[in-house]
Amino acid sequence: MKPSRPPSNLKHLVMPLALAAIAAYFALAEPAFLGPRNLTQLMIEYSITATLALGMFLVILSGQIDLSVGSGVGLIGGIAAVLVFKHGWGAPEALAVGFLLAILAWTLMGALIIKQRVPAFIITLGGLLVFKGLFWKVIDNSTIPVSRGDEDNLYSLLTTYYLPAAVGLAVGAGAILALALLAAQARRERAVAGLPLESRLRAGLKLLLAAIAIAAVPLVCNRFRGVPLSALILAAVAVTVYFLTRHTRFGRYLYAIGGNEEAAVLSGINVPRVVIMAFAFMGAMVAVTGFTMTAYSGASTPTVGDLMELDAIAACVIGGTSLKGGRGSVAGVLFGALIMATLLNGMTLLAVPPEMKFIARGTVLALAVWTDVRFGGQRA
Amino acid sequence: MAGPWLEARDIVKRFPGVVALKGINFDVRPGEIHALCGENGAGKSTLIKLLGGIHPHGSYEGVLQVGGKIAAFRRVRDAEEAGIAVITQEFALVDELSVAENIFLGRESRRGWRIDRHRLNAEAAVWLQRFGLGIAPETPVRELGTGPKQLVEIVRALSKKSRLLVLDEPTAALTGQEAAVLMDNLRRLRAEGTACIYISHRLEEVMEIADRITILRDGATVASMAAATATIPDLIRHMVGRDLAALFPRRAPAPTAGIAPLLEVRSLSVAPAPGAPARLRDLSFAVRPGEVLGFGGLMGAGRTELLMHLFGCWGRRLSGTVHLAGQPLAPAAGPDAAIAAGLALVSEDRRRFGLILGQDIGFNLSLASLRQFARARGLDQPREWVANQRWVERLRIKGGTQAARVGGLSGGNQQKVVLGKMLMTGPRVVLLDEPTRGIDVGAKLEIYELINELTAAGGAVVLVSSELPELIGMSDRILMLHQGAIGGEFNRAEFSPERLLAAAMGRPRAAA
Repeated sequence: MKPSRPPSNLKHLVMPLALAAIAAYFALAEPAFLGPRNLTQLMIEYSITATLALGMFLVILSGQIDLSVGSGVGLIGGIAAVLVFKHGWGAPEALAVGFLLAILAWTLMGALIIKQRVPAFIITLGGLLVFKGLFWKVIDNSTIPVSRGDEDNLYSLLTTYYLPAAVGLAVGAGAILALALLAAQARRERAVAGLPLESRLRAGLKLLLAAIAIAAVPLVCNRFRGVPLSALILAAVAVTVYFLTRHTRFGRYLYAIGGNEEAAVLSGINVPRVVIMAFAFMGAMVAVTGFTMTAYSGASTPTVGDLMELDAIAACVIGGTSLKGGRGSVAGVLFGALIMATLLNGMTLLAVPPEMKFIARGTVLALAVWTDVRFGGQRA
Repeated sequence: MAGPWLEARDIVKRFPGVVALKGINFDVRPGEIHALCGENGAGKSTLIKLLGGIHPHGSYEGVLQVGGKIAAFRRVRDAEEAGIAVITQEFALVDELSVAENIFLGRESRRGWRIDRHRLNAEAAVWLQRFGLGIAPETPVRELGTGPKQLVEIVRALSKKSRLLVLDEPTAALTGQEAAVLMDNLRRLRAEGTACIYISHRLEEVMEIADRITILRDGATVASMAAATATIPDLIRHMVGRDLAALFPRRAPAPTAGIAPLLEVRSLSVAPAPGAPARLRDLSFAVRPGEVLGFGGLMGAGRTELLMHLFGCWGRRLSGTVHLAGQPLAPAAGPDAAIAAGLALVSEDRRRFGLILGQDIGFNLSLASLRQFARARGLDQPREWVANQRWVERLRIKGGTQAARVGGLSGGNQQKVVLGKMLMTGPRVVLLDEPTRGIDVGAKLEIYELINELTAAGGAVVLVSSELPELIGMSDRILMLHQGAIGGEFNRAEFSPERLLAAAMGRPRAAA
């Protein structure tokens, strides 16, 4: 290791500065970027990207990879749409079936990967192709709306329902209150056990920042139609993944397996079970994203889900998740997803041609990982 | 006779926390086969790495001269150019390439930018013929057995005009006949003026081939003699040394004969894989509460495999039973079942099998016992922290904090973390595989004290060690393994390095 490393604080600043620069550029080029309408739009798109990325996070944390999620998003969304539109099912039943199918398929892939020892890259590359083929067969290469006629159902409302302004504010206030209470309780318990505590100032500042971020969502979105339902879905997923990774054995085991699988085995960890559970969770997130993405598109069309696996992986990596496994955080992934979603949203707003969008996204990904390797002091 | 071609004077090599070489003095003359003998850990591999340029000039103290000039090797290539070729037990051959391509890898004859395959094969054929090897130069290396591979490596070294071959345990994996071919070739090379450093545990072989023998112990050269005047008991005596005992504070609890054993193994035979021949053969032994059972043997005798099998993560059991406190332990039940049954394993390779290097001390300590902190609303992290802190303090882990990254700790502290992790599971039988390898004396003593505490509390310890002084100092009873079978059993009164080493080499009656 080279002796002279820039202070690690730089690493924490590089990505926020990059996001600020991207946002500033878009805002200057097109003032509507910062308007409540576009920010709400961005919120929905961000929710979709980040949900999938959080599923991918658990898989990558365990040292695996999943290339099949983009096709899976299309397929699962397509199955639910066909059940609703062609077979007249109720939306809740159709979504439930899609959800269970996804968990089943991903459990199976996880088992193949960890028990039969076929590399995840290959199994999920196979999954990418198989799911894509199944998807096109299921929707018969056509456009299948997520609801019949113009009536709304649970499926279509996933990305078109907005909380009434008062409810949005109440939910935000409730979240901030819950966060403060939980933080205070954790601090008390740590103090009783004699654990080292953060300084009051630092803890207070962190809480304040989080409160501002939470409060901003209803305050901005209420100026358009209100807090989108998909933002609540993302919040629920993020809290779940945070709890899993930081507060359960399952999460510890994921970090351990990704860090050193052989040592994890000798520590008595049931590695196959943990990895399969990570893939099953990935399946659940594919289903949720499949529903929101398809609903956002208004209908299941053959291109839904295209390349979403790369956005999910990019979000993880930009957020500091190591592709070797064992390193990364929920906050990082949420941040990485925000960069990817902002980039795409802004370019769409500026009517950047699709070929330039690809080039920009690829460049940002490579640049982000380079800065991590160069300034982060750790290899990605 | 000509002056020495290679000369090492007062070589000292330090690693963080441990001095691997403490004063190496020896020389090699042209056309001489010079054997290096010593126990595992005596410093042979470190010395070889130094000669071969893996530990570069400047990373050690002392003088290394080759052909009368200071040898300032900065990398392997420098050593090769100076005429030194190191051949280790792991082959550096590319399986998918042919014999000829391997011999001239990186130095291919070219015609323009293309490799001249015909000339390559023709040149290789000449070299192979000189060695009496009936191998076609086009043969892919993967089709060769271990013996021919070894010879191809030597041919490759010689084709680089090497003046000194360093062979590390060259016959360990060879059949008797292959070894004989190797010996013949070495004698021929000697006649042609090529020198050879020959490292082997097989003392008979050393006596047969070597001109001179130098003995290493604890990182220093302790004796050098002409093979003609040496005897095997002499060699063993020098290898073991005489200064034991005091360093090992074993306090055996009151004798516990008659009490039911904690761990009982009956006629255990295990193969590495289905269909493979047995690596562990018909092992039967028992460990009682309060007892330290030592396992000795040469490298590859099967000690690590035995522990790994007991822990449920190695091999396929062909026959036999394992009982823990009277309860049968199913074969290949896995480490989780073994831990639940009260078994703990501290592996010999802590970085590979013991630690999550990127995580902190606390993460590693509680990793095997998280179940006890699991609550419906998540892990009880304050309680976990308190439990971890108790072990950090009991094991006196550096700094007394559990927030430091394990990867940055010294070997001794890392080993303490692994020990702590396994002891937190509350085991009744602790399997220790080379628990003090590569750690400093202070940490060693603390680990010995921990063994005393464990047995005083009624636990049992199985101690695998390649260091005879440690084995003798800390065990209440010793079993020597020889090629996967028990080569001899010794009670405390019968401990003598000569006897143990003889049993390890499968010569139970020699060296009284």
